[in-house]
Amino acid sequence: MLQIYRRLWQVNWAEQWQYRANLLMYLLFWLVSPIVYLAVWTTVARTQGSVNGLSANDFTTYYLMLLVVDNLTAQITIHLLAYKIQDGTLSGELLRPVHPILTNTLMNNLAFKALMLLVLIPVWLVLCLLFRPDFSSVTFTSVLLAVPAIALGFGINFLLGAVITCVAFWTTRVFALNEFYYALLVLFGGQFVPLDLLPAGIQQVAQYLPFQLWLYFPIQLLLGKLPADVVIRNFALSIGWFIIVLLLFQWVWRNGVKRFSAVGA
Amino acid sequence: MFRFKLLGTLLKINIQQELAYRADAVINLLLSLMWLGWELLGLRIIFSNTATLGGWGPGELLALLGVWRFVNTFMAALIWPNTERFNTSVRDGSLDYLLLQPVNSQFLVSFSRIVLWRAWDIVLAVVLIVVGINIGGTAITSANLASFLLLTVTGGLILYSLWIVLIACTFWFIKFDNNVTILQALLDAGRYPSTVYPVWLRLIVTFVVPIAVATTVPLQALRGELLWWQVLLFVAVSAASLLIAQRVWQAGVRRYSGASS
Repeated sequence: MLQIYRRLWQVNWAEQWQYRANLLMYLLFWLVSPIVYLAVWTTVARTQGSVNGLSANDFTTYYLMLLVVDNLTAQITIHLLAYKIQDGTLSGELLRPVHPILTNTLMNNLAFKALMLLVLIPVWLVLCLLFRPDFSSVTFTSVLLAVPAIALGFGINFLLGAVITCVAFWTTRVFALNEFYYALLVLFGGQFVPLDLLPAGIQQVAQYLPFQLWLYFPIQLLLGKLPADVVIRNFALSIGWFIIVLLLFQWVWRNGVKRFSAVGA
Repeated sequence: MFRFKLLGTLLKINIQQELAYRADAVINLLLSLMWLGWELLGLRIIFSNTATLGGWGPGELLALLGVWRFVNTFMAALIWPNTERFNTSVRDGSLDYLLLQPVNSQFLVSFSRIVLWRAWDIVLAVVLIVVGINIGGTAITSANLASFLLLTVTGGLILYSLWIVLIACTFWFIKFDNNVTILQALLDAGRYPSTVYPVWLRLIVTFVVPIAVATTVPLQALRGELLWWQVLLFVAVSAASLLIAQRVWQAGVRRYSGASS
């Protein structure tokens, strides 16, 4: 099995490597909105002294960390798989004795991520020079704790992305569904503002939804901003959501493939 | 006159195309409303924590959001769909047929696809602008209002010119599928006044990809921050950029040798 993953990694890395010139362009997409919000909130924090207890540096570190964490936990499954379901080329992959999404698509996601990270790191260092964040609250333990949080977060996001993509077995409008998912992520994940600034009601809901588990939670964990009980609660939530989403994925996949074989022949 | 008739025909074709995808239009409308909700919530969060953002009040930011959504609609209704069509036509060679038509090719490339349901977004944008101006409360002179409207148009024309230059680049670099990504990516930066951005970002959104020229600048005119010669300068720049875009396009078409041959 490990051998299979290694092979698929090599294939997908080579495939993504072809598009390396496009990566800089994609990176721009990733960068612009966090930098805009960083600028907006640091402006507010500077004129007021602080916003809701958050200083200008808190916002700078939050959005810079967001860039890294977002890259580590993001997934592009819909772009890799939806067209294969729609034009039927998935059948070739279904013939293989391994699960196409949990092997090939997963490895393709990881290869994309690794390549993106290679481009992101130098840009990120330049941004750090420009914004001069004070990362002194990041400790060795906080980084160590963030590793499983990020891995679990990616797992949940990846499986949810796969579920949404698999809806393509039933309808052609998966991209609209994906945009809806993304809109929820922007608000409830903490991409737009740190959750602490959301209106109390939305904040309450956001706490228990899965979206913050792969953005807000790892970011604040890295920055050492969360008390122990919140960290434990979020890890418990991560494991719970991971199991729920895994079961959901397996159910959707099983039924979707059944439908596919009925139509795709 | 002929151009208007042609535009009318193109509109008719697009209406017919879109009527085939009614459900898609409804879904997209809902998504666009959802994003508007998020944007308004964002402004609410900002202004529940501060009275002004870099000297701009809530009314002014609402009006800015309206102008931004106007630009965004222009992009989503015209620019992005036509880019997609253009890129496909370069790849599969159907651009040859378009060039053979007895009409200005730049005109055809710019208007052959029009996503009509987006017109609704223009209504929303106008509502936002009017409400924003009213909340702003400050007395607005008719001169400021006129230069605001004028600069919104010139800003749009400057972005359009940039777009023509970007897609014309495809004639030189054949594999240039993501010719407009830089424009799409930086569009988000138009939602807030560029005056709050760090200097380097402000320079990018003003001179490299002039999103701010179509969003922040008109609002500055409305606030009465621009002098008459600055307004004239923007008008001159937009006229010059249109001219340059036309030249670049013509040079590109001359270079083009077809994909199928």
